[in-house]
Amino acid sequence: MAGTQSLRSPAVAPSAGVASGIGALWRVLRIIMGYPTGAIGLVLILLFALMAIFGPMLAPQSPFEVSRTAAGGVVRLSPPSWDNWLGTTNQGLDVFSQLLWGARVALTVGVISAIGSIVLGTLIGLIAGYFGGWTDEVLMRITDVAFGIPFLPTALVIISITGPSLALIILLITLFLWRTTARVIRAQVLTLKTRPFVWAAKAAGASEAKIIFVHIAPNVLPLSFLYMAIGVQGGVMLEAALSFLGFGDPHVMSWGSMLNEAFKAGAMRTAWWWVAPPGIALSLFVVSVFMVTRAYEELLNPRLREI
Amino acid sequence: MHAWRTFVLRRLALLLFVIVSILTMMFFLFKLLPGDPTSVFVDSNFPDDMVQRQKALWGLDAPIWVQYLRYMGNMLTFDFGTSFFQMMPVRDIVVEKLLHTASMIVPAVIISVALGATLGAWLGWRRGTRREGAAVVTLLTLRSVPSFFAGIMVLMIFSYWLGWFPPGGMVSVGGAGDSFWETVLTIDFLHHLALPCLVLVSREITSPALLLRSTMLEVKGSDFLDVLRAKGLPERRIVVHATRNALLPLVTDVAVMMGFLFQGQVLLEIIFAWPGVGRELVTALNDLDYPVAQACFFVMALIILITNFIADILYSVIDPRVAYD
Repeated sequence: MAGTQSLRSPAVAPSAGVASGIGALWRVLRIIMGYPTGAIGLVLILLFALMAIFGPMLAPQSPFEVSRTAAGGVVRLSPPSWDNWLGTTNQGLDVFSQLLWGARVALTVGVISAIGSIVLGTLIGLIAGYFGGWTDEVLMRITDVAFGIPFLPTALVIISITGPSLALIILLITLFLWRTTARVIRAQVLTLKTRPFVWAAKAAGASEAKIIFVHIAPNVLPLSFLYMAIGVQGGVMLEAALSFLGFGDPHVMSWGSMLNEAFKAGAMRTAWWWVAPPGIALSLFVVSVFMVTRAYEELLNPRLREI
Repeated sequence: MHAWRTFVLRRLALLLFVIVSILTMMFFLFKLLPGDPTSVFVDSNFPDDMVQRQKALWGLDAPIWVQYLRYMGNMLTFDFGTSFFQMMPVRDIVVEKLLHTASMIVPAVIISVALGATLGAWLGWRRGTRREGAAVVTLLTLRSVPSFFAGIMVLMIFSYWLGWFPPGGMVSVGGAGDSFWETVLTIDFLHHLALPCLVLVSREITSPALLLRSTMLEVKGSDFLDVLRAKGLPERRIVVHATRNALLPLVTDVAVMMGFLFQGQVLLEIIFAWPGVGRELVTALNDLDYPVAQACFFVMALIILITNFIADILYSVIDPRVAYD
């Protein structure tokens, strides 16, 4: 596979930098499309992205707007109908509108915390791996401590003390996700820095910053992308879990908070149309990211194909 | 051997360091942020001297570093004080809740490992068949479904629609025995355990199954199996021999799984109204019962750290190369 070859080749032109990163991303997407599961996953993710971007514009109502009958009565717990495609909640809120708005919340949290965590993780991994010695020791012990902190209990404690907000949730998820990226990138840098093209750059008098960011970084980017995809999935799941437990931002309606409301109202007994959509959306999103990352992992690590 | 001992000691030192870091983080979170423990008890209308007396009673008038040391001492000796609301030692509450959590997790882990290992061995043996491929995809997909949605669906179908299982709790009202074992060793308890256990098993079965499958693939080509075949052993006995090689990685996996479940089960405990340590943490945080919340958090973190430590050590025994890292 020609694409695989160029992706794995270490000799990226020094001047390429960010452009080569984008080029690599493009090549990766094309190769993922070659796997049936990867293609299905990518299409689903694209649909979710469109839902997050345009959904709120298409939503018939705001997520907190009460549906009323012509006579002015509240439409409580209505099953799916022409007016409310996915029915209504016990407060008369439109489930379909909530679902569309929820996609925006989910993907916002997922994408921002994933970007934050791979930037942080990749930087720490690059610096620890390249400089070694004491820098490495300190950064890796910090990573070890981060690995020791259980996310859900810690997040619950911090949110209950400082009060819930979307920004805090994104920050907590970011601080939780970076650690794996840091370890993996560091391991990768340890092998990369012994390669001839790094010696050559050194011999040519390149500065350390230039070696790290121009020569080594583009070669770890494919891995960073993988962890970013996994991070989006993790971020979406963690936000949903926190919101489901009632620790989400009360000002926005996410899939997790929909499930929380439905659970509290006992909708499992009375209103399947309220419980199923957010849960299915969440599961489908997670599964589609999984399908893409699986294809991508096989690409990065051909040994997986045999396993 | 020497390098291995150094490795274990370093891991142990790291474990202690992480515990102290987490405790320190918790101390500052709970003590320095707005809403210190007295605000739960002391109304702002109280006269000043009464507030001071209350603070002295709680040791909050001492310098911060004295409070810190006292706090560390208390936590490390598992002296968690008295609950604000339940008027009993926090330690007793936490021990009880931990037992409840364990009574959900331990059976689920045992079933997952037994079923998963068997399934994995079979999958490895049947490598490349269509059924094997379908089974692997099913397992991986099952694991991607968020546990709380799986819990809600299972509850909705098997409890509310079909009415086969109770909708939550650990025992029926009045069903609790005098001791933990008297409670747990009843049909009623098993009836309540079935649904949460089903959700846990459907997720946790994946990793032992995949582990055994890949071990089986490695072992399958090795010479000693040919020797067994030459001896004329039936295929089923040979599978047993091959499986034995995978046991140690499996034990490591169990350690990791236990630790993970002790934090992940919060969601399932809420859904199934299971009176465990995770649900207690959420309740205590909502009630501002700080001593209970701190203790629940601390024991959950401790269990995860210790199980991970055990997994690390076991792993270094399996693969001595990690000890030289």
